[in-house]
Amino acid sequence: MRNLLQIFILFCLVTTVANESNAQVTPENIVATHGSGLSATRSFIDSYCVSCHNGRLKTAGLVLDKLDLKHVTGEAELWEKVLRKLRTRMMPPAGRPRPNADTLANVVTSLESVIDRAAISLPDPGRPAVHRLNRFEYSNAIRDLLALEVDGRSLLPADDAGYGFDNIADVLSVSPGLMERYLAAAEKIARLAIGDLAIGTTAETYKLPYLSLLQEDRMSDDLPAGSQGGTAIRHYFPLDGNYLIKIRLQTEPQFSKVRGLDHPQQIDLRIDGERVKLFAMEAQAADNYMMKTEQVRADNGLEVRIPIKAGPRVVAVTFLRQKWYMESLGPERLPATSFGFASGTRSDERHGKQLMGVDTLTIEGPFNPQAPKDTPSRQRIFVCHPNTQGQESGCAEQILVALARRAYRRPLHNGDVTRLMRSFNAGRVNGDFETGIQQALETILVSPEFLFRIERDPSGALPGTVHDLTDLELASRLSFFLWSSIPDDQLLAIAAEGSLRNAKTLEQQVQRMLQDPKSKAFIQNFFDQWLWLRNLATARPDQKIFPEFDESLRRAFATETQLFLENQFHNDRGLLELLTADYTFVNEKLARHYRMPHVYGSHFRQVHYPGDQRKGLLGHGSILTVTSYPNRTSPVVRGKWLLETLLGAPPPAPPPNVPPFPENEGQIQQRSVRERMEQHRKNPACAGCHAQLDPLGFALENFNGIGEWRNTDANMPVDASGVLPGGEKFDDPAQFRSMLLSYRSAFVSNVVQKLLTYALGRGVEYYDMPAVRQIVRETERQNHSWSSIILAIVRSVPFQMRKVPVL
Amino acid sequence: MIITKKCLSRRTALRGIGATIALPLLDGMVPALTALQRTAAKPVRRLGVVYAANGMVMDAWQPATEGPLEQLPPIQQPLAPFKDRMLILSGLDSKEADAKDTGVHARIQAAWLTGVRPKRTEGPDIRLGVSMDQIAAREFGKETQLASIELAMEPTDLVGACLPGYSCAYNNTVAWRDATTPLPMEFDPRAVFERLFGTTRSTSPRDRLRYIQKRRSILDDVTEQVHDLQRGIGSGDRAKLGQYLEAIRDVERRLDRAEAQADQELPDVERPAGIPATFDEHARLLFDLAVLAFQADLTRVFTFALGRELSIRTFPEIGVNDSHHPLSHHQNDPEKLAKLTKLQTFQMTAFASFLEKLHAIPDGDGTLLDHSLFLYGAGMSNSNLHYMYDLPTLVVAGREFGIRGGRHLVYGDTPLANLHLTLLDKLGLQIERFGDSNGRLELLADV
Repeated sequence: MRNLLQIFILFCLVTTVANESNAQVTPENIVATHGSGLSATRSFIDSYCVSCHNGRLKTAGLVLDKLDLKHVTGEAELWEKVLRKLRTRMMPPAGRPRPNADTLANVVTSLESVIDRAAISLPDPGRPAVHRLNRFEYSNAIRDLLALEVDGRSLLPADDAGYGFDNIADVLSVSPGLMERYLAAAEKIARLAIGDLAIGTTAETYKLPYLSLLQEDRMSDDLPAGSQGGTAIRHYFPLDGNYLIKIRLQTEPQFSKVRGLDHPQQIDLRIDGERVKLFAMEAQAADNYMMKTEQVRADNGLEVRIPIKAGPRVVAVTFLRQKWYMESLGPERLPATSFGFASGTRSDERHGKQLMGVDTLTIEGPFNPQAPKDTPSRQRIFVCHPNTQGQESGCAEQILVALARRAYRRPLHNGDVTRLMRSFNAGRVNGDFETGIQQALETILVSPEFLFRIERDPSGALPGTVHDLTDLELASRLSFFLWSSIPDDQLLAIAAEGSLRNAKTLEQQVQRMLQDPKSKAFIQNFFDQWLWLRNLATARPDQKIFPEFDESLRRAFATETQLFLENQFHNDRGLLELLTADYTFVNEKLARHYRMPHVYGSHFRQVHYPGDQRKGLLGHGSILTVTSYPNRTSPVVRGKWLLETLLGAPPPAPPPNVPPFPENEGQIQQRSVRERMEQHRKNPACAGCHAQLDPLGFALENFNGIGEWRNTDANMPVDASGVLPGGEKFDDPAQFRSMLLSYRSAFVSNVVQKLLTYALGRGVEYYDMPAVRQIVRETERQNHSWSSIILAIVRSVPFQMRKVPVL
Repeated sequence: MIITKKCLSRRTALRGIGATIALPLLDGMVPALTALQRTAAKPVRRLGVVYAANGMVMDAWQPATEGPLEQLPPIQQPLAPFKDRMLILSGLDSKEADAKDTGVHARIQAAWLTGVRPKRTEGPDIRLGVSMDQIAAREFGKETQLASIELAMEPTDLVGACLPGYSCAYNNTVAWRDATTPLPMEFDPRAVFERLFGTTRSTSPRDRLRYIQKRRSILDDVTEQVHDLQRGIGSGDRAKLGQYLEAIRDVERRLDRAEAQADQELPDVERPAGIPATFDEHARLLFDLAVLAFQADLTRVFTFALGRELSIRTFPEIGVNDSHHPLSHHQNDPEKLAKLTKLQTFQMTAFASFLEKLHAIPDGDGTLLDHSLFLYGAGMSNSNLHYMYDLPTLVVAGREFGIRGGRHLVYGDTPLANLHLTLLDKLGLQIERFGDSNGRLELLADV
């Protein structure tokens, strides 16, 4: 494979030089072998396309009647557009004569193979721009470089996104404001990593959601088994010293009284699992209509000042259970979002005692700090300790070379070392040895070689030619693709010795990287953005309509999808299982929501769906919620989601001045979303596109705006029938899902394109389509398993190579 | 935000002369800040721009008659104390947002402060124009540490929420440094705080100087590294590193100014813990930071998006549980219009309390408000129709600017950019044209 590639590159170089043009070359022999396919394609286009796409009508600006099919490769950009419409069966449109599936497939295949053959002889890998690390990559890189967990979201501003992802080189720009933030972030990180006494005292407050999260079950795996409510947070204690930990309890809104004072409570505070203090709270007489200071500020004494050693620690605060019920078999509670819960100060038998809840946890400190001796970061940084001043510069060099090599993702040269030492000395003057290291580290963290991924053209490379990346560049592409972070020492060492391109080594490295926990970054970043899951965090379903939607349900939605995707990925399942899986992951809260019996407790487990109402991702509450409006379902948004994210056929945008959608509010006769939608679609301006969108979106009408199953909408039976882009009619979600599978090739191709976009950090262009098809073909035999696709992407032309820009 | 004890005595002193004001979040901080002396003979001028998303209920915004403001319309009621400083302007249009094309919300937000039609693209080749605030920032920024700050009420990293055909950039900000550089808006008060005050807790001149010197040394090293790198990479990539170098130079310029001001007293303020839950608390905190920035003269220009176009935020704290954008398609339903009016009045209340704070802080020969100019408005009038003509537009001007307030001015068939151009005039920044401007607005300083 590698040799073949080299021959083609050579061929390409030669032809490029000879022709003075790179994309327009059309080897006649390729067309010749496809002579018969050519005439079939011509007649296909004449019968199905040119009645609209001709020189006179120019529908959608596309003229196909005069196009010379001998020059398909010269017009690849246009033909790829045509192919996309054909593959997703968006064309010919409904109501027009349509070819049968075989004819369509033949024409698509014959056009594709002409383009693909040309691409083999003249690969065009494109060229991602210089790539700035986005904030997720930045914080992961810090973690891997310094063994320090930082929250990129609080250190750096949000990155702009393009093509649906936030790691697109072209849109990751640098502004002075951002530069300020990089400088500030570098300073904070260097201080934390070294344990600089100048950090000073800070107060960090963690707030729990109020009136949306019931603190009843065990809230986190970091809390003791059998605990109730509260929270566990990971906090970085920057220095050895005394810290003040303050707990504030939730109060009811009307009189600001602490909730749950009607019975005695015990509050358990732990650090790294060890109990620090058990606070006992007396019961106070429930006097509902008086405002008593002792009830308002009953949490005044809930604080403790203790010495804590520097480093990351889990701080947990929780309530001891009063009675031992089996988890979740206790008294029935009012939902956290209900009026009763918000206003109730009284407890009654039916709803059990009033729940006490943690409102905020504040960690203030350090007081009387001392420089830490031993933290994970210091162990990572200080590979040596100078005993005399004479040893300092040797040790500093050792430390900084190790750090910079990882940060810059390459072996260092002399100039680097000189600069690092200058930085060290500038800091050393103002303090001690560690001050010097700290300043040099700060410099490394704002260095362009850390913040940017820069790939270079070989010296003397001619414009328009293509070349392999260096091993070191490839190592960075790999690690940012699979880990959203810098290469580790092993990968860097292999690249530095120049053996990463060995096919076997490359595969081993990819497999190793996929097994590494750091690949979680890929699962999170890729899927969250591809499937719009990032919007779940800000989704705000209307509490009047969906009182059962609270923080625990939101978290359960997110966890379900995350566990499901991790499962797919780690068990190397095929791509299609995203749609067909008959299992998912639920806890009791979610199981109730989905009406699945016999699931108890707050922990998640794998279960099979009892019926065929739900299957795969399309049954996940997360996705059904992010594709809804706060107060109702939206077949339009769901239709758009299905077309765009699953089939890769984004619908055209709505025209300006769209008449509003009739809402149900205040009307005497309630009408279903479908009824209102049908009325909406009577408008001819809307009908064109909504004829594609809505019928698809209706497939999920059995799921309400937060993904609950329903058989009626506004007292009318739900009608979940609809039509797929190719005209296939379905009656219910199950039928819809099975028909969707006939779009397998469009789906697989689309996922590969999304993955390639993410892997390259640039938009997929027409000249990438041969590589996309190659990846699809190569992985067919492995049923498009995740590892096979990722490996095929890593081996693909656009991932391995790069083009010198034409001036 | 908590204030250290240090300034308590001064607060007591100030209370004595009747200068205490209602500052729920900055309570007690004002005295520490008023120590800032301005010696310059020429008073400082400032600009604030506030954007309200998803249009306006015009019946509740527009006064019935032209001329003197008698009764304020419902949405402007919170501004009653500033009636004599405000102008309501009608008949101004954002024509560049109008197109027989999709993506109307992107165009509306993009064109509002630029007067330029955004280039239709989802890719990196975005193109708009410099926004009005940034023309002021370019000039005023020469004298402050930060040229401008950009604030927003909503995070801008949502995916799938941008408009088909238009890059998210058009929908994520109203501030554009130039045609291709959108400025990200920050919604986390803590991040804004750190941008203003840096990461160092100590504000003593000695510590700040040392901090400045360290930064400068780091930037020198990095600059050298970029120069090395630029040899031997493609021209496109060189441009990107050029962007980075430009950013470094900008930071260095500001370090120069910081150094010059290093002996100035700064308030001792604790940084905010995070993002407040309600609109009101969050908006007030961000406005408070803008007060601080003006007061400490860290910047003289800010933009603040109270929402982004298409925002689906709900406002349960005032009983509006409907999501903003769907609600804005009100179909003239009286109930929806009432809710929308309530929401828009609520937003105005936050702005009004910001003005109150500015007005209570002495500055030169008057108060901060006297030396500040504000534009408040939306990119649409009737949101039900996506109507980008006759926009809801409000100017609040300090005495410094010679604008006669208390009036409703009615223009017609006039680009909003004419107002932008005229406001820049008032700030002392004379330019020829701005966006689609075709002249300057008469009457602002009418006798």
